[in-house]
Amino acid sequence: MIKQEKTIPIRKFYKNMLWKKAKSFWVTYKTTKIGLTGLIMVLSFMFMAIFAPFITPYNPMKSVGEPLLPPSPSYLLGTDQLGRDIFSGLIYGTRISLMVGALASAISVLIGTMIGIISGYYGGLRDSLLMRITDTFIILPTLPMMLILVSFLGSGIHVIIIVTAVLVWTGTARMVRSQALSLKERPFVEATRAVGAHDFRIIFRHILPNTFPVIFANAILGIVDAILAEAGISFLGYGDPFYLSWGMILNYAQKAGALVTGRYWYMIPPGLCIMLLTAGFAFISHGLDQVLNPRLRRR
Amino acid sequence: MKDYILRRAGQSIITFFLAVTVNFFVFRMMPGSPLIALIDPRVPPESRLLIIDRFGLNRPLWEQFLLYFWNLFHGEFGISFYYSNTPVVDVILGRRLFNTVVLMGLSIALALIIGVIIGVKAASKRGTKTDVSATIFSLVTYSFPVFWIGLLVLLIFGYYLSLLPIGPTPAPGLRYASFFEYAVDYLRYLIGPLITLTLSFLGGYFLIMRNTILDIFTEDYMLTARAKGLSSRKILYTHAMKNAMLPMISIVALHMTYLIGGATMTETVFSWYGLGLLIFESVRAKDYPVLQGIFLLMTIVVIISNFIADLIYAYLDPRIRY
Repeated sequence: MIKQEKTIPIRKFYKNMLWKKAKSFWVTYKTTKIGLTGLIMVLSFMFMAIFAPFITPYNPMKSVGEPLLPPSPSYLLGTDQLGRDIFSGLIYGTRISLMVGALASAISVLIGTMIGIISGYYGGLRDSLLMRITDTFIILPTLPMMLILVSFLGSGIHVIIIVTAVLVWTGTARMVRSQALSLKERPFVEATRAVGAHDFRIIFRHILPNTFPVIFANAILGIVDAILAEAGISFLGYGDPFYLSWGMILNYAQKAGALVTGRYWYMIPPGLCIMLLTAGFAFISHGLDQVLNPRLRRR
Repeated sequence: MKDYILRRAGQSIITFFLAVTVNFFVFRMMPGSPLIALIDPRVPPESRLLIIDRFGLNRPLWEQFLLYFWNLFHGEFGISFYYSNTPVVDVILGRRLFNTVVLMGLSIALALIIGVIIGVKAASKRGTKTDVSATIFSLVTYSFPVFWIGLLVLLIFGYYLSLLPIGPTPAPGLRYASFFEYAVDYLRYLIGPLITLTLSFLGGYFLIMRNTILDIFTEDYMLTARAKGLSSRKILYTHAMKNAMLPMISIVALHMTYLIGGATMTETVFSWYGLGLLIFESVRAKDYPVLQGIFLLMTIVVIISNFIADLIYAYLDPRIRY
């Protein structure tokens, strides 16, 4: 008599596989010291953002002292020209950078993935058309274009997020396209098609999940781009005046002549924060690269 | 090869037309079209009428679009709103273009040389302290806010050490005793933005170089080279580095936009009298014709350099010419 093999439901099988994949991913990721450092850096900034009201002594948008005071125990980094506490502004600024980075990157990855999948999966005329559009966006000068659009559409934080997203999706689109091109020729996709699956199902159940690592790595780099873009736009004076972001603080510092009067406590901390946060994300992306690109690990 | 060139040329032309179209509509579809700038009191009424007539701003949009194309092919880029009565061509070409090309050309070249050398070194000593510290340094420079580094350079070398001038580039009207004196002064202004921009380009070049070389190390022909008994030095510099230069060509071609457009951030921080600063000033003054002119110039340069890069690529790597 043949022994009945124990079967598990397919859904549970997928769940197990996903869990195993995540676990093995973490095991490899843990070994990349740079990636781990990045994760810690980003997590500490997230901590700062979440617990900002408990860390900061003052409301960052309110005038709480004499203008342009130097650092002192009551104002750790002094005050700005409106008498606002710079330290409090700095801590609250984390929220804005993280929000802008996450939202802009999410939107840009969404656009890029959609264009990349359609282009790679369907090919033909649609591919040529979408790729020419992508080429056009690649050659557009990003920062000047952002400045122009923001100066036209107004400096709302949502405008900055959308404008950033609309200008930086090209990398994702190209990578997802090349992934889709190779995935659609694989036997398992052909098999699904032979069973009679629709394009829609093939794309969402089989191709998209397999491009996920690439999308994820791109999303992290997208966050870096978006944070830097927001900081730059705000520094040049086109930021949202209702959100005191790090770039905005630097803009105020510049206006107050922090450079020519040597007020380093006003100028250095905001930039350092931007640098540490973006470097944290860049480290994570480097770590991901080591895990997702096995060719970099071998040898 | 011929098919490939023709196809790439066709694609480039399509991209060019798309870019020109975007260039036109971005500035026309916006709320507060050019007429708002024309209402600006700084523009004298006679030149306002002249511009309206010349560019058909009172005609329907599609007609304006065709007119725009027509004017482009006749080398007519319009008249600056801000620098009244100065043709855009005169605003863009000249001293500003020269300054930007000098600054960007030097910083890209410097970053490329340093990035490639450190990249090759780091990849060959993978996992050592040299590699890890170079990688961390590059990741940081890859992701730092360029304008803030510029401020830092100004603060340290300008304010504290008084080595560099804090102020705008030598004004065009300034007179110097000799050319030599002028050159020295020019150099003093150049160093700050040059350091900043070189740092900002360096990280990207290094990372691409390092990753490409590591990738190449896993190729079969590297194994063959080792099996032939070639020295590791020869393998590294002739086999690996040569092949790793290929992706660099396309990256540098893409960076040619900066060669013309300049780095708006850095030029603004250092008040470098170049096209990047002109972009910022024109955005503030809503000087559309000048912006359109710069964008067009950048588009042309980057499309041509991409096309040339693709040709070089195809010539060097036969696998591309499928």
